[in-house]
Amino acid sequence: MLATQTEGVDQRDPQLRLNAFFDADTTSLLAPADTSGVLIARGEVNGKNVIAFATDATKMGGAMGSAGCLHIVNAIDTAVRERVPVVGLWHSGGARLAEGVEALHAVGEVFAAMVRASGRVPQISVVLGPAAGGAAYGPALTDIVIMGPAGRVFVTGPEVVRSVTGEDVDMERLGGPEPHGRRSGVVHIVTDTDADALARARDLSTLLGDQGHFSTADARDGADLSSLLPDSPKRAYDVRPLVAALLDSTDNAPAPEPVAGTTGLASTKSPINPVELHARWAPNVVTTLGQLGGRTVGVIANNPLRLGGCLDSASAEKAARFVRMCDALGVPLVVIVDVPGYLPGVGQEWDGVVRRGAKLLHAFAESVVPRVTLVTRKTYGGAYIAMNSRSLGATAVFAWPDAEVAVMGASAAVNILHRRKLAAAPAEERDALRTELIAEQERIAGGVGRAMELGVVDALIEPTETRRRITEALAAAPAARGAHGNIPL
Amino acid sequence: MEQIRAEMVANVWQIAAKVGAKIAEGDTIVILESMKMEIPVIAETSGVLTELAVKEGDVIQEGDLIAVVS
Repeated sequence: MLATQTEGVDQRDPQLRLNAFFDADTTSLLAPADTSGVLIARGEVNGKNVIAFATDATKMGGAMGSAGCLHIVNAIDTAVRERVPVVGLWHSGGARLAEGVEALHAVGEVFAAMVRASGRVPQISVVLGPAAGGAAYGPALTDIVIMGPAGRVFVTGPEVVRSVTGEDVDMERLGGPEPHGRRSGVVHIVTDTDADALARARDLSTLLGDQGHFSTADARDGADLSSLLPDSPKRAYDVRPLVAALLDSTDNAPAPEPVAGTTGLASTKSPINPVELHARWAPNVVTTLGQLGGRTVGVIANNPLRLGGCLDSASAEKAARFVRMCDALGVPLVVIVDVPGYLPGVGQEWDGVVRRGAKLLHAFAESVVPRVTLVTRKTYGGAYIAMNSRSLGATAVFAWPDAEVAVMGASAAVNILHRRKLAAAPAEERDALRTELIAEQERIAGGVGRAMELGVVDALIEPTETRRRITEALAAAPAARGAHGNIPL
Repeated sequence: MEQIRAEMVANVWQIAAKVGAKIAEGDTIVILESMKMEIPVIAETSGVLTELAVKEGDVIQEGDLIAVVS
């Protein structure tokens, strides 16, 4: 997609980058090229209108002055007016020093425009080079940040860090893909090439800007999804193959029927590949945008491969931000639950697991988009409530037949509830008694029987019918969209 | 060098890699047991396992060193 390495062509050229982002031959500038260091353009992505801007790193390192900032504000305001996504291609040293406070004021106006647009149109940032100071907060205020291999985001550069703290650190270790992809959560997607960064931005522009409609015919019964889980309920597994199998792909979406009156091209639209956000930050919860039955959905799934799938402060915050983004942009949610509880520990408590966990409760309870929960193996305790339970307003809660919905696992519960009884029993009878008590505990509190009686689980569904049942439940709920911005929680 | 530390209180259930072994990102080094779950501890970087600080049956606390990959 990117222009080839032609002699004499500067790969930082913003016009080249915009051309590489948009569908071929669709880029048209919204303002003539000037000395401002910013280009703004309209173009198409998969045939749909999108607005984009690019800072020009060939002019003063892409530093932002008042004229360039005004262009960006205009681009964002245009996108809001036309209700289309706005994508920023960043490569900028921050505010133009020579312009002094005037530049700071202008950068602040960009931030204000981004916040005005927040939750109204999708905002996507692609960081292709250093984005420092004011240019760091630009991407950070948007819904999704993608970073190419040369992308760097930091507030103060290595030299300032060295002079103030004495720490010797280079740009990459300070604010490259590794720290932001894994440690800080600033970046949602890290890519190996610039071309791939732009390709992801295109996928996301379509997923969020052209969400489509549910077609239950496209989500027929199919593969046994439970085959992607291990036999032992204690065994860890990676939930991502399950997420992939649930979503549309060229494998599990039958070719749509041709629609009368449309061209062959439009009716054979193939699914957009799912895009996982924050894949390496807080990996114990997975957040993925993809399509289900032909429509964009957001999937939140506990991942037992990491921390046993426990929720913790970072993963709760990650999920909460994702839920609020989807709610603000009208994206229905699918919540795949297999959670042993919240991670215990001093580190968690001091890390604010109560405050940050509360964000997830708030995000689900507040959201108005259709949101369906599926319990695959187990859901216990406080994490049960947080993972889009009926009490928080789930549209529907499904469970697979062997799932357990409880305050805690039956054996743990027996050890607490019957501690005295077990201690009093003769040693040789203790194991038999424990087994008996566990069976009794499972009967009265475990399984999903009690949860169904209470109406907090609506139905048991078979793994083979999961795609269809979730799609039907989402499609039957009234489409809605939260009236709020998407603060980067 | 990557120091792998425990993210939670747990029992060390199984050692899955030997000192001196080549480790790829995503490889399981030890399997912990906590919260009634078997929890694999996974290498975040590739390298050689140069130190194993735990043995099977140990109880480890949050923050304890488990292994070093260099």
